[in-house]
Amino acid sequence: MQPHEIEGSEALEALMLGDVKAGFPSPAEDVREKLDLMKLLVRHSPSTFFFRIDGVSMVDADMDEGDIIIVDRAIDPYDGCKAVCFIDGEYTVKKVQLKPDGATLLPCNDQNSRYKPIPVGPGDEFLIWGVVTYIIKKA
Amino acid sequence: MFALADCNNFFASCERVFRPDLNGRPVIVLSNNDGCAVARSNEAKALGIKMGAPFFQIKSIVEKYNLAVFSSNFALYGDMSHRVQQVLSRYSPCVEQYSIDEAFLDLRGMNIPDPDAYAKQISAKCKRLTAIPVSVGIAPTKTLAKIASKLCKQYPKLRGGCYMHRPQDIEKVLRRFPVEDVWGIGRRSAAKLSSMQVRTAWEFVQLPETSIRKLFALPGYRTWLELQGTPCIEFEDTLEPRQSICVSRSFAKEITDCQGLCEQVANFAESTAHKLRAQKSMALQMAVFAFTNRFKDNAPQTYGSRLVVFPEATADHSAIVRSAVAATRELYRPGYGYKKAGVVIVKLIQEDAAVGSLFRDDLQARKNERISSSIDTLNRNFGPGTILFGIQGDGHIKMSREHQSPHYTTLWSDIPKVSVK
Repeated sequence: MQPHEIEGSEALEALMLGDVKAGFPSPAEDVREKLDLMKLLVRHSPSTFFFRIDGVSMVDADMDEGDIIIVDRAIDPYDGCKAVCFIDGEYTVKKVQLKPDGATLLPCNDQNSRYKPIPVGPGDEFLIWGVVTYIIKKA
Repeated sequence: MFALADCNNFFASCERVFRPDLNGRPVIVLSNNDGCAVARSNEAKALGIKMGAPFFQIKSIVEKYNLAVFSSNFALYGDMSHRVQQVLSRYSPCVEQYSIDEAFLDLRGMNIPDPDAYAKQISAKCKRLTAIPVSVGIAPTKTLAKIASKLCKQYPKLRGGCYMHRPQDIEKVLRRFPVEDVWGIGRRSAAKLSSMQVRTAWEFVQLPETSIRKLFALPGYRTWLELQGTPCIEFEDTLEPRQSICVSRSFAKEITDCQGLCEQVANFAESTAHKLRAQKSMALQMAVFAFTNRFKDNAPQTYGSRLVVFPEATADHSAIVRSAVAATRELYRPGYGYKKAGVVIVKLIQEDAAVGSLFRDDLQARKNERISSSIDTLNRNFGPGTILFGIQGDGHIKMSREHQSPHYTTLWSDIPKVSVK
């Protein structure tokens, strides 16, 4: 089990939000709203999943080894979106190009010619597992 | 009008969410300790693997047909179940979670122009958003909705949803529906009906009211009415607190020493206390039991149990764990290999009904309550087992889970990997 570090700000908050025993009560005492990253990053909780980027075989793909991507199955693939696709038995992030009769899965970096475009017909929507909504990376 | 949403082969379907490669391949999920098959994909059912089939008996089929075998992964199933529930709650203001993979939706008073399309839409949305296939039956009563959802599983062309309401359709379905598969018909009622040559739900419905009232208690009568389209089973969208709480497991390896047995029982007791507190109940009486492997012919057998009567109602982790361990020490007999043990709260009350005893030490009780709620908070926020009593050992219940899949949705270290190409 990993030890959990208690953030400094939490400890500080615990000190500050206690009963005010004397003196003028803090006008900010009732203000307890906090910015919640989950609310920002997860729009549809039943359909949102996290993946970790494992292998990167191209430069300039916005995604690096170890990044966490947020994938929302509630979002219909749109032209130019990045999506987690299931190809040849593994998950791969591809760029989706929508066409009137289906879609094409392109490498995330357009300049990369090592990976051929993959056409998606009406019968294989399952190829596209979910649309990438955010990329979380370490600065 | 009611809907029943039932996840198809739920545990097996959960295993496929992050493994699309398993689509089309037979999948089974094993019970605790990898004992027997508790969930089977349609392909596994087609191979003749029965519900509850012991794993060792089907090993040859597993190899021959390349079955994908999983140990139970309740973290994953619980999370996926919660996701499906969230989707369902968009389709009715009242959702009654009936089990981990089933929920009733109360559609009364809602304006639904095309219930059949509604059922199909709910199913499609669950599949799209959570990747779990769900069968949705809509009918005038809960009992009929359950039958309608079973039809969806039988007939893929219903596309996961079915509205069953016309009397002639209901008759047609009930004529072919085995009475023992009707919701609410227990094993004893089924035996009774079988001796009366009543085989189908339709034959059951044809019995005169007088004989139903004579032969069955109120629940059987309700089922009889419900099958005829008269709703009489209450909708329960608030979970009634349970009247007893049981945590018991069999062990992967037999336990012969007292300390080892105490550790396991302490874990069960801690988990019992947690469940008790979650439903705001307090324990009055608790039973602790442990026994040897009944299926091992030559081994010496023993069964021990102790009843603990608490001096006053308690929901205190330490009191429950301490008493359970003391009871275990009493019932333990050296020289036996214990295979299973458990803790059952046999008598409980709601915390607001608890009466303090004359000799209650209020200050101490308040201290204990603060400790217990801190334990709850820590284990809720940082995962079960974050804080333990020393007697719980490493906090792990000794089970074999050789084939367990990652906790894809509940542990950062286990989230699925994806490459960029």
